[in-house]
Amino acid sequence: MKKTSSILCTLLFSAGAGIGAEISTFHAYVDSDVCSRLMLGPITSERIGCSQQTHKDGALPVLVRLQDNTVFDVNKQKMLKEHVGKFASVTGEAKAQNGTMKLESLIPEETSSIPQGDPARRLLDVRMFRAPSDKVFEKIRHELAMMPYITTYDFISFNMVGSEVILTGWTVRNTNRSEAYNRVKTIEGVETIINNIEVLPLGSMDNQIRANARAKLQRVLSRYFWGSGSDIKIVVKNGDIILLGTVATKQDSDLAALQCNSVPSAFHVFNMLRVESSAARQ
Amino acid sequence: MLNNDDVSGKIVACCLAVLLVAMTIGCSQSTPPPAAPKAAFNKIPAGQEFSGFLKDYSALQPNPNVESALTYVSSDAQKNLRSYFAIVVDPIAVYIATDVDETKISESSRKAVTNYFEHALKNAVSDAFPVVESPGPLTLRLRAALVGVDVGGAVPAADLPPDVGPLDHPLNIAKLRVEMELVDSETGERIAAMVDKSNLGAGAEVGAEYFSRVERFAAAREAFDQWAGRVREFLDSAHTLTGQDAERADKAYKPYGAATVSK
Repeated sequence: MKKTSSILCTLLFSAGAGIGAEISTFHAYVDSDVCSRLMLGPITSERIGCSQQTHKDGALPVLVRLQDNTVFDVNKQKMLKEHVGKFASVTGEAKAQNGTMKLESLIPEETSSIPQGDPARRLLDVRMFRAPSDKVFEKIRHELAMMPYITTYDFISFNMVGSEVILTGWTVRNTNRSEAYNRVKTIEGVETIINNIEVLPLGSMDNQIRANARAKLQRVLSRYFWGSGSDIKIVVKNGDIILLGTVATKQDSDLAALQCNSVPSAFHVFNMLRVESSAARQ
Repeated sequence: MLNNDDVSGKIVACCLAVLLVAMTIGCSQSTPPPAAPKAAFNKIPAGQEFSGFLKDYSALQPNPNVESALTYVSSDAQKNLRSYFAIVVDPIAVYIATDVDETKISESSRKAVTNYFEHALKNAVSDAFPVVESPGPLTLRLRAALVGVDVGGAVPAADLPPDVGPLDHPLNIAKLRVEMELVDSETGERIAAMVDKSNLGAGAEVGAEYFSRVERFAAAREAFDQWAGRVREFLDSAHTLTGQDAERADKAYKPYGAATVSK
């Protein structure tokens, strides 16, 4: 009987070990869920400000792997809380395909401790990012703008580090995630693509929030909505509303946030709207 | 005192006993579900072009992007196809040809075609419009009907594999067309509609509840897949940005790369 039990245990353990991902250690930036998906470019003081502010406002902390900008949701968020807006060397079971990580340890570090030439330094170097005036950058932008199934409730952004494209954002349709990838991969000059676009769950409560938020915004800011699209994007995730896009004035931005704050059942409103005058300067 | 072997043996025996009881209960409770009431067949009214399944046919127009189809898409700025992103698929309705004797069509025949087509429709649309179980905000209801189902000649037993039982009367889908509409799942307001007149079922028959490998039944399966695919084609064409919409979308899309956020 003992023998049978031990054989069974061995079989179970070996099967479990086969399924698990490998433990790895990498350099990471501790970001907020909101800012990591917005892809605010290199990790500058502005990005750090975004991470800390949105985390303070209720956004969950996540890890951004510096070598390729892959975003990981972790199982032990408490371990990250103190370190949002900072860098760390992290160890755990990372699954890049679905963006999850079983975090085992976190050691805070300074960027100066990352050796020169280490791939993790790429995201820290502003010079590595392509400018929006770049031809390949513009082609990607146009391709993504023409995606047929993008609605008011989807937001897809990207950035280019060398010949690598980092896709990011949120979508309510799985097809948008793959469509964005497929459109970008055919563009000449693109070598690799990191796809951080998150497919949002379609909970009935979130859908109700989406519908209410849109109705409220359309009533007072109708000029930003037209038949097949909108300048304002409403991303809803687990009761939180993230407002994105561009509006003409700061007053419109504040009004949009005010309207969304009165949507029943919404927990937080993250107003990430850009104001045209400042957006035009980019 | 019991030794370890005794304890392990008793635990295993207990587990097996519990498992056996659970299986016995499970099996005893698997009574067959009550038979579904036989659905009445709808018939295409004599001399009419359309079945009457759709509420209104007057707004349908030929669609240059979907050959042999008449379509309608709401252009309302607040309620159009782009305002929705999930779908509830209703059970498929069947309209038999005007001169068909409906007593020759069994419930299993109806189920064979409607189940297959419902499955094909869900497959075709689900990655663009996730299929959900219940109506709600931002959710469309897809109503579809197979129109013009006819009864075919008897199926020779030799045409079917030994494990496949033939239907009493095979269904002929040579003149079948598809009528479909998408309505707001909460208000019932019509958002889009399509009448597909493409002649995809020519030479195809449904002779068995589970479509077999036999040629004309495989042709029927292919035809249903194509009809479903054309519904998706219609949805894709309705979502494609053109003209001023494309210009505005292009102008509006500014990625957040290295952007300043107004806080």
